[in-house]
Amino acid sequence: MPTHAPVHVLGLGKTYGKVVALDGISFTIDEGSVLGVLGHNGAGKTSLIDILTTGARPTSGAATICGWDVVRFPHHVRRSIGVAGQFATVDEELTGRAQLVLLARLYGAGRRAARDRADELIDAFGLADAARRKVRTYSGGMRRKLDLAAGLVARPPVLFLDEPTTGLDPVSRNVLWEIVTDLAHQGTAVLLTTQYLDEADVLADTLIVLARGRVVAEGRPADLKRSLGNRTVAIRFPSLTASEYAAQCVASHGFRPVRDSGEPLLRIPVSGTGDIASLVRTLDGSGVDVGDLTVSEPTLDDVYLALHGAGDHPG
Amino acid sequence: MSRHAAPVRGPRPDITTSPTTPIRRSPPAAHREHWGVSGFGTQLWVLALRSIRTAFGHYRLIFLGILQPVVIMLLFSQAFAGVSELPGVASYGSYINYLLPATLVTIAVITAMSSGAALMFEITSGFVGRLRTMPISLFAVLLARSISDTLRLVVQLAAAMVVAVLVLDFRSTSWVASVAACALTAAVGWGMSWVFIAIATWRPSQEVMQAASFVVIFPLMFTTSAYMPVESMPGWMEAVATVNPLTYAIDAVRALTVGDPYGTDLAAALALLCCAALIGILTAAHGIRRTR
Repeated sequence: MPTHAPVHVLGLGKTYGKVVALDGISFTIDEGSVLGVLGHNGAGKTSLIDILTTGARPTSGAATICGWDVVRFPHHVRRSIGVAGQFATVDEELTGRAQLVLLARLYGAGRRAARDRADELIDAFGLADAARRKVRTYSGGMRRKLDLAAGLVARPPVLFLDEPTTGLDPVSRNVLWEIVTDLAHQGTAVLLTTQYLDEADVLADTLIVLARGRVVAEGRPADLKRSLGNRTVAIRFPSLTASEYAAQCVASHGFRPVRDSGEPLLRIPVSGTGDIASLVRTLDGSGVDVGDLTVSEPTLDDVYLALHGAGDHPG
Repeated sequence: MSRHAAPVRGPRPDITTSPTTPIRRSPPAAHREHWGVSGFGTQLWVLALRSIRTAFGHYRLIFLGILQPVVIMLLFSQAFAGVSELPGVASYGSYINYLLPATLVTIAVITAMSSGAALMFEITSGFVGRLRTMPISLFAVLLARSISDTLRLVVQLAAAMVVAVLVLDFRSTSWVASVAACALTAAVGWGMSWVFIAIATWRPSQEVMQAASFVVIFPLMFTTSAYMPVESMPGWMEAVATVNPLTYAIDAVRALTVGDPYGTDLAAALALLCCAALIGILTAAHGIRRTR
């Protein structure tokens, strides 16, 4: 059996009437790796997932899943993929366990195998307490977990996650992150769409940034972050005098503090962890009292700003 | 393909959070055994069973489902009591004998409409979206829906019959005739459910779906002999009634329950229902697989 990349996409394009949803997207996802697709609403993320999960046909280009063309062999593709999404696609009126058993049966498992698989997933996802309750009664986090479990019923080699943590609380988010990391470690190829740079940073090996259906940047998350910039350290001081003094101190050490008018607050762009350490040493040496210090990561908006014009203004 | 050697990934120092629920570190994807694919029969069985469980899994739904035909019948038997004086009705002995068949068919059409609404909900809620990504036949999804709703209809029809006999003094010629009347009505429900399922597969908005359903239902029900004899209608309406499949279905059910000859009506009803079902099936099968 020849080895195919789990996901291979070449020059994929999709138009709806005059609207261009995807414009020549290409990438490959290897076994055990996670591709993060980053973009705002309307950037083309959902169109991409729709095509790769056989829900929509591309207008140009091609895509294969485990060697099967998504247009010509949709049935084979469907045997190789698992999908979990932003909208928890689970049946409200069934219990969590019944839902998983149902899906396993539809995937071809016998009664016993289906029940075993359902119990296995319930166990692995920590849903044991809720397994025999109707999904209607589940919290948002539990629904997402169940939805992800539902996507994994057939142990698919390729997993699509469409904004799996949008709107989730931090704890549930971390749980889902762990599960996805585990899956990748075990060899699953994962395509993850997200609006959150930190999520892509934690989960993805490779990242593509979509804007208006085009790839405007790609690479390892760390490289991408380095290329676009910078983290910002925000420091609050007890008084305006203190912040003014601190601003002079750090400026003399090569930092470029930005004052917040009227507030004893400084924003200082830094490039690496070393910078933060030296900043803290400088402040310590100057003897100023520091009220509060936070480090903020670049956001998706920063990515777009840094890539200004690349995709937003075609032509 | 070997699954043993997972590619080496870089360290992930970012994940230092501790989830509240313990997560077992191994199973989900560790070993992939192949189940193959499920057959059409299994898909149909599993999906139909699911819908039936949903329909009968809630006491309120069961109660309301059974109450619905009873309410319709009690209301109509009182409101239209005067109709029994009309010449077309007199021959049936009492108005309940005239009304019951129409009530049965009304119940069938309403249940058929709810089939479409239920499918519509499953499409918009994303459940069908998940099934779309699975290696199964989407036609099985539709067929399972029509079958399970027809079973639900049979229970409603039985309840209506019992109430008619016990409360409204309905007398059929024989048990066999009553069962045959219910069977024909169930066939009406099954055939008509495809019309509404077909509408739902074209993914209209909730409002459009409702509007479309009423546009289908009202002309169908009121241009029949359901509540008034066809002879007492204006000419154009009488003409429409004579080509309406439900007229034949209602007349056949009536003939069955009072022991009149029913051959022609039954044949016409079944033929027209098959046509409706076939068109519905073809449209729905195409609509549900339609990709964007």
